[in-house]
Amino acid sequence: MKKLGIISLFILLFIGFITVWHFSYKQGLEEAYVPITEEETIRFIPSEQGVFRRSEYALDYAKMPIDEEHQRSLVDYYDNKAFHGAPPSIPHEIKSEINMGGISCLKCHENGGYVSIFSAYAPVTPHPEMVNCRQCHVPQYTETLFKETNYEKVLAPLVGINNAFIGSPPVIPHQIQMKENCLSCHAGPSAPKEIRVSHPERVNCRQCHVLNNKEIKDIGNFKRNNNE
Amino acid sequence: MYTSLNNRRSFIKKMAILSAMTAAATMFPGIIFAEEQERNLPSGGDLDWKKSPCRFCGVGCGILVGVENGKAVAVKGDPNSSVNKGLLCVKGYHQTMCIQSKDRLTHALVKMNGAYVKTPINEALDLVANKMKETIEKHGKDSVAMYTSGQSTIPEGYVASKFMKGAIGTNNLDCNARLCMASAVTGFLTSFGADEPMGCYEDFEHADYYVTWGNNMAEMHPILFSRMLGQKNSRGAKIIDFATRTTRSSMASDKSILFEPQTDLAVGNAICYEIINNGWVNKSFVEKHCNFSKGLTNIGYGTEDKFKFKDKPEKINFDEYKAFLEDYTPEKVAKYSKVSVKDIKYLAAIYGHPNKKIMSLWCMGVNQHTRGTWMNNIIYNIHLLTGKISQPGNSPFSLTGQPSACGTAREVGTFTHKLPKGVVMNPKHRAKAAKIWKVPVERIPSKPTYHATEMFRAVDRGDIKFIWTQVVNPLVSLPKTSRYRPGMEKESCFVVVSDVFPTPTSDVADVILPASWHIEKSGLYGNSERRTQYWDKMIDGPGDTTPDAWMTIEVAKRMGYGDLFPYSEENHAEEIYNEYRQFHEGKKHGMAPLEVLKKQSGVMWPYVDGKSTQWRFNSKYDPACSNGEDFHFYGKPDGKAVIWQRPYEPAAESPDKEYPFWLNTGRVIEHWHTGSMTRRIPVLHKAMPHAYVEFHPDDAKALGIRNGENIKVTSRRGSCTLPASINERGLPTKGQVFVPFFDENMLINDVTLDSFCPISKEPDYKKCAVKVEKA
Amino acid sequence: MPIISYLAHPQEGKKVELLEALSIINQCEVIPAENKNLLIVVTDTNTDEDQESLKERIEAIESLKLLAMVSGFNTPKNI
Repeated sequence: MKKLGIISLFILLFIGFITVWHFSYKQGLEEAYVPITEEETIRFIPSEQGVFRRSEYALDYAKMPIDEEHQRSLVDYYDNKAFHGAPPSIPHEIKSEINMGGISCLKCHENGGYVSIFSAYAPVTPHPEMVNCRQCHVPQYTETLFKETNYEKVLAPLVGINNAFIGSPPVIPHQIQMKENCLSCHAGPSAPKEIRVSHPERVNCRQCHVLNNKEIKDIGNFKRNNNE
Repeated sequence: MYTSLNNRRSFIKKMAILSAMTAAATMFPGIIFAEEQERNLPSGGDLDWKKSPCRFCGVGCGILVGVENGKAVAVKGDPNSSVNKGLLCVKGYHQTMCIQSKDRLTHALVKMNGAYVKTPINEALDLVANKMKETIEKHGKDSVAMYTSGQSTIPEGYVASKFMKGAIGTNNLDCNARLCMASAVTGFLTSFGADEPMGCYEDFEHADYYVTWGNNMAEMHPILFSRMLGQKNSRGAKIIDFATRTTRSSMASDKSILFEPQTDLAVGNAICYEIINNGWVNKSFVEKHCNFSKGLTNIGYGTEDKFKFKDKPEKINFDEYKAFLEDYTPEKVAKYSKVSVKDIKYLAAIYGHPNKKIMSLWCMGVNQHTRGTWMNNIIYNIHLLTGKISQPGNSPFSLTGQPSACGTAREVGTFTHKLPKGVVMNPKHRAKAAKIWKVPVERIPSKPTYHATEMFRAVDRGDIKFIWTQVVNPLVSLPKTSRYRPGMEKESCFVVVSDVFPTPTSDVADVILPASWHIEKSGLYGNSERRTQYWDKMIDGPGDTTPDAWMTIEVAKRMGYGDLFPYSEENHAEEIYNEYRQFHEGKKHGMAPLEVLKKQSGVMWPYVDGKSTQWRFNSKYDPACSNGEDFHFYGKPDGKAVIWQRPYEPAAESPDKEYPFWLNTGRVIEHWHTGSMTRRIPVLHKAMPHAYVEFHPDDAKALGIRNGENIKVTSRRGSCTLPASINERGLPTKGQVFVPFFDENMLINDVTLDSFCPISKEPDYKKCAVKVEKA
Repeated sequence: MPIISYLAHPQEGKKVELLEALSIINQCEVIPAENKNLLIVVTDTNTDEDQESLKERIEAIESLKLLAMVSGFNTPKNI
């Protein structure tokens, strides 16, 4: 009798063990379920992202001294562009025709700096993520033309006339495509002197400076059909 | 602050000054060296610079307006204001340009035989007073109503309240702050018993993390966002953006977490669950200073007329609250909120970290919500459980949208149930109002009547036969304008509109009164951080324009209540403020005297013994604390704050087969609210000429929609046609579209739903179901 | 030619006296804080000895509680 009792006890224990293990296994499965989420295809807003880039250097920009002898002006800036907004041509000699991106151009143009051979500060690119630089930026190997042309350069936007009041923040008089990052051209020693800002530490530029370049149809002066 | 390299001495001097300023700022956050800034500002020539708060948002920046020959010709930030320290945003810099608009209302217009006739203002005011008297005689006191604004000045709100409640004797007074801050108010009152944030803007200089809950501060509170960015750069503070849409703020944040609309309730509870289960609760704080309560659930959405709701609070204990939160484990919440378990635990870990200071910031995403009160409570729960409240840097900060929603709407109390101190239901508060107003106490009615949405429903039903709106544009800003516009056009209601410009609301008016704009009158505003700011009249308005407060007083005089409004026309703002101050005397709410407000750029209340109270409820900083403990939540009778058990409930109208998209509405930085002022400012109009509907690129691709194509957005209530915008200013999540509401020619509020939070009565503009098709 | 910047803490309630006393001294520039009891002082002298005596003069002012140096630059003679 005793033997039967012990055996049945063990069988019960064994069944109990199987049941409890099974139950807890099922519970564990349920709680551990983590649904697979699809990777978001697009997450960024190109026109909005650029304004905050390089903002980690904003305080450094604010404290940087200006080198008046070696700074450039807007005339220099527009000099190597066919029209304002065009990709500038490369004004200096290039060592290799094959290299690309970080190992050639970005070495100097990602963060700028003084280059003594050219006695100038390297301009900072507003779009360092585009690494196939030579796709748009080419050198000029000759001064002469193949055939004469009628092409006339368009006037670039002027500085100093874009404020609504004296002292109010000027509107952005140029397109920002490919130039979403303000600090790269408007701050630091490589900035053209007419457009260098007095307050690079304020990084939310588009809080005060807006674009006024949308095509708008004049809808009249809000004339309502009830006022005389 | 530029120095030329050639002059080495002055450059070095500048460096020395800069390092001293930085050292000072680390020792005394919030320190200002204004003279230094003023030296570097462009000299204004011959201009006379006068100070004022900005006309626009609830940040309440100090501005200086340059006046020359009686015209406002320049605006700059006030370097003496601790709010903005000389910085403004694009709207602030150009605000005075709107008054030059050619279609400015300069004379009163009265509708006769379908056309508006120019009328001398006194005649128009006579007509308004007679019509009001007539309506009261024929249909009773509750057939007339006034609808004012969170942009009305403190004197304007006070006079409206005294007129309706003290003179005529009706509670038919509500304001548009019901549409923006009501949930924040009920959140404060249920959790703490006292309205308005307990922290101040100086918290930005102390906090280590800023968590924004469903608001886009880079565009809506730009100065505060710039302060956050400044702290990010100098101290390494982090910004976490928790929203239903990727925006400019997300671009600047350290982490951007997107959630499915309405599930912020669940995620908030999941954070509380994590805090409790990881042992991050500040046990002594909770035991000494918090009670637990729960209210009713399944409370409805208010879409029917005459919807009534009264909450029944019930005391519970910590264990019941803990058991309730078992439904909100991160794993369970992750399934329907589209927030990953990792992100929920990340947020909870930030709040639970014993040494980091957190500031939570929210505005319309949380308030314009069918469970807005609950959501406010949940965010306070998180801060109360961890004890991170009422200390520098630890601050749940409810941001205000309008410039004086705090100062006028909430403090003066231009709501159906409120008085300048307290509520109409309380006999002691009525007695105090009656004493200061010098009216018989029986005249002040004890039952609230209509909140904003219900007021316009009453106009539609014919129960209200006379309505006077001031400083507000309800036919663009109400939800479901497709019902309320025909309602206002009905013959049964006589509509009087006071405004600066013609708007869709003035289009249906019987009498249009020309109001003075901001700097054409004296006044006071109160901003988000309890700061009251005063300004003097700077220029004269054109034609017959008159301050709103004075027009109310003139009508009151014509109705025989002149003895209750014994103010002079030149100084009425000052006299009214001095009378209003009496309501708030005491350490808990004392307002500063006018001389102090005139000298300084603004002063926070409670103003006790010459000092502003920056952090309330903390006995180290708040002289009103009287229980001898380190925290005293004196809004509640037992001095303890309340942690509310609030569940997740679905939205009033979720997307379904027929209407498969969420519709979210909101704003853009260039335009203020309904655009009546900012669209008349050329710089701002050219920067953002019209509204649009934002799509996620995957949704646009599936529907074959291209950028700029005209799209018709339709709901069960109406439709609106707008051009599509894909990946331009903002990126909604998949299955959601976003439309800014500033454009009166693309009226998206024809499409929205007038469901509201049953406790606060604030409508939910952020969630309803729509379908889209090419137009 | 040292250029040195300091943070000056006035005695209780004596910010205005300290500001006046410092403004009289020629070789130092004072920038008061608007909302806290603190002033920035920048001294610009020709020699080290001048700088020492100027510092002693400033420290002798009664309304000054504490003068804490923040940064110092020594510039060579020819500039």
